[in-house]
Amino acid sequence: MELFLQQLLDGIATGALYGSLALSVVLVYRASGIVNFAQGEMAMFAAFLTWQAHTWGVPLVLAIGLSMLVAVVFGAGVERVLIRPFGTTAAAHLSLIIVTLGLMLVLTSAAGWTWGYLTKQVPPVFGEGVVDVGASAMSRQALGIIAAVAVMSVILYWLFQKTRLGLDMRAAASNPESARLSGIPVGRMLMLGWGLAGAIGALVGALAAPQLFLQPNMMASMLLYAFAAATLGGFDSPVGALIGGLLVGVLENMAGTYIDIIGNDFKQAVALIIIMAVLLFKPEGLFGSRTVARV
Amino acid sequence: MREHRTNHGGGLAAARRQLTRLREPHAPLDAPVWLRAATFCLVAGVAALVPLYAQPYVNFDLSMVMIYAIVGMGLNLLTGFNGQISLGHSAFFATGAYVAAVMIQDGWHYLAVLPVAVVVTFVLGYLFGLPALRLQGLQLALVTLALAIVTPAAIKRLDDFTKGQEGINLYTAQPPEWTGLERDQWVYLLCLVGVLVAWLLTTRIASGRVGRSLVAVRDNETVARTLGVRSSRTKTTVFALSAAYTGVGGVLYVYVVQFVGPDSFGLVMAIAFISLIVVGGLGTISGAVFGAFFITYVPEWTADVNQAAAGMVYGLSLIVFMFVMPFGIAGLARAALRPVVDRVPGRRSLLSDRSAPTVGGAAAPVEGPEELVRS
Repeated sequence: MELFLQQLLDGIATGALYGSLALSVVLVYRASGIVNFAQGEMAMFAAFLTWQAHTWGVPLVLAIGLSMLVAVVFGAGVERVLIRPFGTTAAAHLSLIIVTLGLMLVLTSAAGWTWGYLTKQVPPVFGEGVVDVGASAMSRQALGIIAAVAVMSVILYWLFQKTRLGLDMRAAASNPESARLSGIPVGRMLMLGWGLAGAIGALVGALAAPQLFLQPNMMASMLLYAFAAATLGGFDSPVGALIGGLLVGVLENMAGTYIDIIGNDFKQAVALIIIMAVLLFKPEGLFGSRTVARV
Repeated sequence: MREHRTNHGGGLAAARRQLTRLREPHAPLDAPVWLRAATFCLVAGVAALVPLYAQPYVNFDLSMVMIYAIVGMGLNLLTGFNGQISLGHSAFFATGAYVAAVMIQDGWHYLAVLPVAVVVTFVLGYLFGLPALRLQGLQLALVTLALAIVTPAAIKRLDDFTKGQEGINLYTAQPPEWTGLERDQWVYLLCLVGVLVAWLLTTRIASGRVGRSLVAVRDNETVARTLGVRSSRTKTTVFALSAAYTGVGGVLYVYVVQFVGPDSFGLVMAIAFISLIVVGGLGTISGAVFGAFFITYVPEWTADVNQAAAGMVYGLSLIVFMFVMPFGIAGLARAALRPVVDRVPGRRSLLSDRSAPTVGGAAAPVEGPEELVRS
């Protein structure tokens, strides 16, 4: 039982990160109707920027804030320069998948070129040590991650539901044509969506770096879990992404503990199985909206 | 942002016109039958003579080019002709390679494992293609990307067969005594036979009924179905077929490299395959050859710059080609050679189709409504 609780708590902590990265994937999907395959690599790059600023003596929290700012600008720039020229027709999807794949490779290589492939040690944001939760123990970092993700979710909820800007963004995502006619600068809203996604990714990167050890390929499997989370939650549902992330995190930990064949080093299979199963049996996920094809 | 159709424009306007021309699709060259046959025999003949005079390392590189060309042809049938994107073909490549490596270790003859690997990867591809029926482009990309990421971990997990992290070293594909060839020459010729068979097979498929049904399903599935194309069977079969091509590539890879290890078949290989067909030209057959040269020689040229340089070039080329030349090098070659080839007299093949490849929306100059308001 104690083991079970421990695994559950650990699963929730990693799941919070998966959910956040999935959230940034979903934001982009809602804005532009595509999946940005470079989302994980953008987060990795931001984590490197955080680390770099920190080694130059900037306090850690400030460094994270700075790299989030950079990520906003970068995300918006990517949308404007690389994504928008292709338009949003269904035919452009193949091209856009290929472009974001290219970006993924460019960012990995750029990080490798700049900082090398040796892992870097990143101090945990919330300090070392453990806190007792009932019968089991949680690291301060894990608790901090859960808290940070919770705060971020509340802020985003407030932004999208309670502010004019959030309303404009939702309008631009759900019906660009009508939004444009109502005087909403749709292009700018899309850029903002990408920028927000970048900022969330930067936060995830900084929070995940202590566990994953900072290196250029660290986000590949993280992206896989984020995709599993987004698929499970439904690709157009931000809430679904977070809940899906928690579920994937817990499932992955449980499977690694209790299913022998998975074990500790084959957990990635859980993500693949989740993606396959959801797409085959409930393609819209738990919270996504059903798309009905009309001919 | 509007093109003014004037002839006096400066170099810039001319350059822009050239760029727009690169973004246009080009129909396959409609060469007369005799010219096609002659070109094929000439290329095959020259290619067969190369290994007798080249250095061993050159032969190995060219063997890799031919292996990648086979993979590219299969992947192009799937992505270029049928419009299904797969980022997971590195998994099928790994399957072919590991099936070959494990069986050769168990004492099978190295040529005997080839049909086995073809069957295994075909069946695997078919099984994986079944869900592909229900998935649209984006979801298929997700699933196959997941497959590519999981592959190395799966290989390590099956360490009873695969020896896990340490990989399998082999000593295989020795040339028969009577040929008097060196190993590198022999392996090169095996790859050449493979690529020539793949070429003939692919041109047959692409220019025939099957090819037209592939393109029909890609361009409008609903219409294709009303015209009697069995779209679901077409899609799964082409998925399986492209997996089998890739499996053959994997087996030949074992002949050339004589080693398999889990980390060779990761995400980088999967994206390299995508770069191959994009740079070569989506929906073309010759493009697979151009792209194969590209992904074989880029790592070599960039190796002394930085270990990250190859990935950088692949990534940039994906982006740049999508913007500037969505139809790749093959599209460029078609545009350049058309005026010449069209003048050559001779009987045209009945099978040659004049339809151009159309791949997703190429990047068009942005013309938002805001501009319309201003002008």
